[in-house]
Amino acid sequence: MKQIATFIVNEKHYELAIEPHMLLVEVLRDELGLTGTKHSCGIGSCGACTVLIDGRPTLACLTLALTVRGKDIRTIEGLAQGTTLHPIQKTFVEHGAIQCGYCTPGMVLSAKALLDKNLNPTEQEVKHALSGNLCRCTGYIKIIDAVLAAAEAMSKEAHP
Amino acid sequence: MSQKLSVVGKRIIQPDAAAKATGNAIYASDITIPGMLIGRVLRSPYPHAKIKRIDKSKAENLPGVEALITPEDTAQWKKFDRGLKDLPMIAGGYTVPADEGVLNERARHFGDAIAAVAAINEHIAEEALELIEVEYEELPFVIDPEEAMKPGATQISDFAGSNIGKHMSYAFPEGDVEKALGEADCVVEGTFTTTKQEHCTAESAAAVARIDISGRLIVWSQCQLAHLARREIAHIFNMPVRKVKLITPVIGGSFGQRGSLCAEPICIALALKTGKPVKLVYSREENFIALESRTGFKCNLKIGFKKDGTLTAIQVYMLGRLGGYMGCGPMASAIGMIFGLGHYRCPNRAGEADMVMTNTPVSGAFRGFGNPAIMWGIEQLVDEAAEKLNMDPLTIRLKNIKRAGEIANMGLCLESTYLEECIKRGAKAIGWREKWGKTKKGKTRRGVGVATMTHCSGAAPLYLDHSNAFVKLNEDGSADLVVHPAPVGQHIWGALSQIAAEELGIHAEDINIVTGDTDVTLFEYGSDASRSTYAVGNATLMAAHEAKEQILARAAEMLDVSSEALKISDRKISSRTDPKKSISVAEVCYDAIYNFKGECLNISGKCSWESKWNSPPAGAFFAEVEVNTDTGQVTVIRFVTAMDCGKAINPMAVEGQLEGGMQQGIGYGLTEDYVINKDTGVVETDNYDSYKMPGILDMPKTKVIIIDEPDPKGPFGAKGVGEPGMVGVAPAIANAIYDAIGVRIKDLPITPEKVLEVLLDLR
Amino acid sequence: MARLLRPFEYREPQTVGEAVRMLSEYGAQARVLAGGTDLLISMKKRQVSPEYMIYIKNIPDLNFINYSQEAGLGIGALATHSAIADSSIIKNMFDLLATACNKVGTPQVRNMATIGGNICKAGPSQDTPPVLLVLDAKLKLVSPGGERLVPVENFFIGPFKTVLRDAELLTEIQIPNPPPVSAGCYKWATKTVAVDETLVGVAVLMTLDSADGVCTDIKIALGSVAPTPMRARQAEEVLRGKRIDDRLIKQAAQVAAGETRPRSRADYRRRMSRLLVSEAVAETWHKIR
Repeated sequence: MKQIATFIVNEKHYELAIEPHMLLVEVLRDELGLTGTKHSCGIGSCGACTVLIDGRPTLACLTLALTVRGKDIRTIEGLAQGTTLHPIQKTFVEHGAIQCGYCTPGMVLSAKALLDKNLNPTEQEVKHALSGNLCRCTGYIKIIDAVLAAAEAMSKEAHP
Repeated sequence: MSQKLSVVGKRIIQPDAAAKATGNAIYASDITIPGMLIGRVLRSPYPHAKIKRIDKSKAENLPGVEALITPEDTAQWKKFDRGLKDLPMIAGGYTVPADEGVLNERARHFGDAIAAVAAINEHIAEEALELIEVEYEELPFVIDPEEAMKPGATQISDFAGSNIGKHMSYAFPEGDVEKALGEADCVVEGTFTTTKQEHCTAESAAAVARIDISGRLIVWSQCQLAHLARREIAHIFNMPVRKVKLITPVIGGSFGQRGSLCAEPICIALALKTGKPVKLVYSREENFIALESRTGFKCNLKIGFKKDGTLTAIQVYMLGRLGGYMGCGPMASAIGMIFGLGHYRCPNRAGEADMVMTNTPVSGAFRGFGNPAIMWGIEQLVDEAAEKLNMDPLTIRLKNIKRAGEIANMGLCLESTYLEECIKRGAKAIGWREKWGKTKKGKTRRGVGVATMTHCSGAAPLYLDHSNAFVKLNEDGSADLVVHPAPVGQHIWGALSQIAAEELGIHAEDINIVTGDTDVTLFEYGSDASRSTYAVGNATLMAAHEAKEQILARAAEMLDVSSEALKISDRKISSRTDPKKSISVAEVCYDAIYNFKGECLNISGKCSWESKWNSPPAGAFFAEVEVNTDTGQVTVIRFVTAMDCGKAINPMAVEGQLEGGMQQGIGYGLTEDYVINKDTGVVETDNYDSYKMPGILDMPKTKVIIIDEPDPKGPFGAKGVGEPGMVGVAPAIANAIYDAIGVRIKDLPITPEKVLEVLLDLR
Repeated sequence: MARLLRPFEYREPQTVGEAVRMLSEYGAQARVLAGGTDLLISMKKRQVSPEYMIYIKNIPDLNFINYSQEAGLGIGALATHSAIADSSIIKNMFDLLATACNKVGTPQVRNMATIGGNICKAGPSQDTPPVLLVLDAKLKLVSPGGERLVPVENFFIGPFKTVLRDAELLTEIQIPNPPPVSAGCYKWATKTVAVDETLVGVAVLMTLDSADGVCTDIKIALGSVAPTPMRARQAEEVLRGKRIDDRLIKQAAQVAAGETRPRSRADYRRRMSRLLVSEAVAETWHKIR
C-alpha cells in the first residue's frame, strides 16, 4: 500500500506516494530523477549509493525510504551552487581524481561529511572517512590528494 | 626529437569531469525514456542443465509484465560469439564459432541466461522472475580444465569434439627451443597458476534498446567496440547494419569487460518482442556470473640462460580455463605468449596453449589480457636464474631487455624503448641498493622486488587497427572532433582534445568531442589493446593536420604571404618572418564559412587509416613488502611504477592509469579470489562481501615515474598506457616476498596461509 | 541477485510496548528493523522475507549512552556503532567497546547499524559480542509479559541463534563499572583486506591488584573462532591470580588457541587466536602499568 510522505532532498520538499518496501536509492533515482546516487553492489560494501542524512554518510541502498521522510537528505546534486562547484568537487576535477566517475558522488559526499567536521584531517583520517567507498579506477591516490586539497581550500576560506 | 608543445604534456582537466562530479553524467543505467520497460534475466542455478520445460503462465499473467522470452523465442535469432572475435578483425583468419544464443536451452554454467522478462518496473520484473517455473534436467558438469580435457568428460560446446575450445601457438616462434634448453648453462622452470579476477566495474552491465519511428534499432551500449557491436547486433537480429544505431554513453568502468557484448542481446530481444524501449541493468551478482572475467591460467615455463646471464631459450605451455562459452578467452593465451615470450631478447622461443571449456562463467579480457598471467611466472623465474647465476635481478634484466632497433614483441621494429631508464630510476626510487639482498631477521621482514614488462599500443599487425577521425572548424575558431573511442574513464576525450588542439594551434578547451553515435562517427575499431591514444590519436593528428593545411592556405591568401612562412599557435596564425602579419584562427574560419568572394569552405580534415605500427610501452615495477613471519601477512608498504609510455599527452591521466593498475595488481596478487564450489558449480564469490578488492586502506605509499621520451610513431610521441599498469605488480610483490623471507609463492592469490606453508617447508 | 525488496506490511510502533505486542501478534512473520544493514541484505538475498516489518528507530528512549558511578554504563539498543565509537565516556572508560564498534563495517554502516541489531544478529564473526562478554554485559529483553536481564554469555546459543524469543525486544545493554586498576583492549585480524569480516577477534579485560601487582582477574573472549563468541576460560586460569610475565602470556595464548573450535581456515584461525591473545593480553598489561 502506498503511503504519502514528504521527503526533503537538497533542501527541497517533495510529496511522494511510495511503497514501504522501496529503498531510498530507488526513490531518489526513479521517483525524483536524481540519478547521481548510484546503485552498484546493493549490499552496502561499495558506498556508491552514499547520501548524507542529517549530515551523516548513509547507504541509500540499505535504507527504506519511508524511514527517512522528513529528514535532511543531501545527494550529490545538492552540492554545486548552479554551475559553481563545491570546493571538493572542484579539487576532484582538478586533481584527476575522477576517471569513470561512478564512485565519485559517494566519495565526494563521504569527504564532505569529514570536512564538515574537521577541516584539518590527516591523511589517515581521510582514508578512514573514505574506507567505505570503493574505487576500481584511480587506486585512490588522487582522491586522497583532492580531499586534502579541498580541506586546505575550505580552511583558507573559513579563516582567510 | 625535441618538440615545443603548448597543449600536449599539460595536466588538463577532463571535459566530462564536472558532469561526473555533480552527478549529472548520464550512464546507460541512468537513462529513462518514456514508456520504458525494465528487463530482468532468469539464470540457471545449475552449472550444466537442459531446460525440459518452462511454465510461463503465472509470470506472463502478472499485471505489468509485457514480455517473457525463453530460448524458444530467441531461436529465431542467430547464435553469436559475445567476444566479437568472430568478426574479420584478426589476421590469419582467427575465428570463434558462434556458439551462444541470446537465451540458451542448455545452461552451460551457473548463471547462464535462460529466460527474461520486461515489465513496467523493476519490482514487477523481479516478481515475474520468481513466478517462472523451470524444470531442469541436471547434466554432468566439469569445473577443472584438466578434468575437462580428459576423454569422456562431459561435452560443453556444440561445435568441437572435445572441450579444447582452441589450441593456440605462439605467433612468432624462433630457433630451436629444445636444443637451446639442452645447451643452456642454467635452466629455471616452474608451474605458475593465476586466478579468474573479476573486473568489479563500478557500474554494472547495462543496456537500453528501443525501436524508433522508422523501425531502426537504437541501442545505448557500453561496448568498447561500438562499430563492431553494431555489426554483430545487426547480424544476430537479422537486420541490415544501417538499421542499427549504437549510442555510447559515459561508461562506469570496463577494463576490458565491455569489449564484449554484455547486456545488449537480451535487452534488444525484449525491445523487439515488446516494441517498447527496454532497459536492462545487471545486478552486481550478475556481473560476477554472467560476464567475462579474467582468464585464469596454469603456465609451465622453462627459461634457459648462459652463465653470463644471457637469456637463450624460453618456452611455455599455458592451460587456460575458458568457461561455458569461448568469448575472448583464447586470445588471452595468444596475447600472453606474444608479450611474455617476446619481452626479452631471446633467439629460441616457443609456446603452446590449450584453452579449455568448462561449466563455469566465461573468461575473457581484463587489463593486460594474458600478459599479467605469463609475467607472473616469467619474472619470478628470471629472479631465480639471477640467484643461481650470482647476479642481481636488475643486472640480469638489463642484460636481456630489448634495445631500440631490435624486433619488438609484435614482430615490428622497436622504435623506442626506455626500459633501462625505468629500471634504473625505479630502483633508485624504491631504495633498491639499500634494501635488496640484505640478511633479514626478526619476526617482520622487509624485502624489495622488481618485475618488468612490455605491452602494446594497439593490436597491429595482429588485428585490423582501423580508426577514423574527422575535424571540422567552427566559425569561432573552435573545432569539433568526430571520433569514437569508448569513454570508460581513461581520459581519452581530453587526450584527443590535446592532440587536435596542439596540431591546430588552438587550446584544448576549443575542441568539442563529437562521439558516441555510430550514425555520425566513421568506423572505429574501438578502445582495446591500449590503442585509443595511439591509434585514434594518430588518426586525430592526421585529420587535424589536414584541417591545419586548409587554415594555413586560407590564411596565406588573407595575409598575402606564402603558407610555408606561417605558423599557428595560441589561436593565431602569424608569419615567422614578419610577426605583424597575423590573423586569428577564428577570423580565418569565419571568413571561410561566410565567404562572399564565392569561395565558401567549412574547413575540415579527415583521416581514415589503419595503424601499421605498434610501439610497445615498457615498465619496471618495484614493490617493497613487509612479511610477518608469525601471521604470514604480506603488506605492500611502498610501490613504484616506472613507465615508458612515450610522451605523456596528459601526465595526470597517465598517473591515473598506473595508480589504478596498481590497485588491480595488488588485488590480483594478494586479495582477489574468484571461488567456484567444486561440488555444485555455484559461484561463491558473487559480490563484495565475499570478493575483496583493495580498498583505500590497502594501498601502499606509491610513486609513479613517467619517463616521457617521445616515440617516433606515436602521436606527439605517445604510446599506449591503459593496460601496462597492472602487469608487473603481482610478480614484483612475489619477488619482494622472496627477498624478505626466501620463499616463493607460485599460485595466486598470495595468502597468509600460503606464505606460512612455504615458510614452514623451508624450516 | 535481486536488488530490490519484496513487499511487506510496514509498522512504526511508537513505544516498546507497542513493538512487542506487534511481535507477539505477527510471530515468525515479522522482523524488527533498526539500521537495516543486516536485515535488508538478507532480504535481498532472499534468505528471509518477512510479511511484517516492525521499524523501531522511532521509539524514543532506546537511543542513549548513559553513565553513572552507581549504575555503570547503559547503552540503548538503538545506539549506533558510530555514536558508541565517538562517545567520550566510552572512549575513556570502556575503550575496547569503542574500538570494536569502530571496526564494524564501514563509516556509512556504522552510522546506520545499531548495537542492538548487531547483538541480535549473533553472527559468529561479529566484533561487539566478545567485548560485551569480557565487560560482563547484561541485556535487557522486554516482552508483553515483562522484562528480563540476560547476561550476555547466556544470550548466544549458536550461529545466528540467541535466546531472544519471538515477541521479545532487546532494549538496553548494561555494563558494570570495571574494577579499579583495570584495562582492556580489542584486537582482530580480518579475512583478507583491511575493511572486511573479522577472521579472529580477541577482547581482553584485565584487573591487577595494584599497578604492577598480581592479576586478580582476567577475561579473554574470542569471536569468529567458534559457533558463538566464547570465553577462553582455561587460558584465563593460566593468568588469574598470578604475576604476569611474557612467558605466562605466551602460555595462556597457547591454551586459548586450543579452546577455539573454528570451522573454516581452522589451523590459521587457531594460530591467529594464539597470536592475537598474546598481543591483546600484553597490550592490556602494558596499559595498566
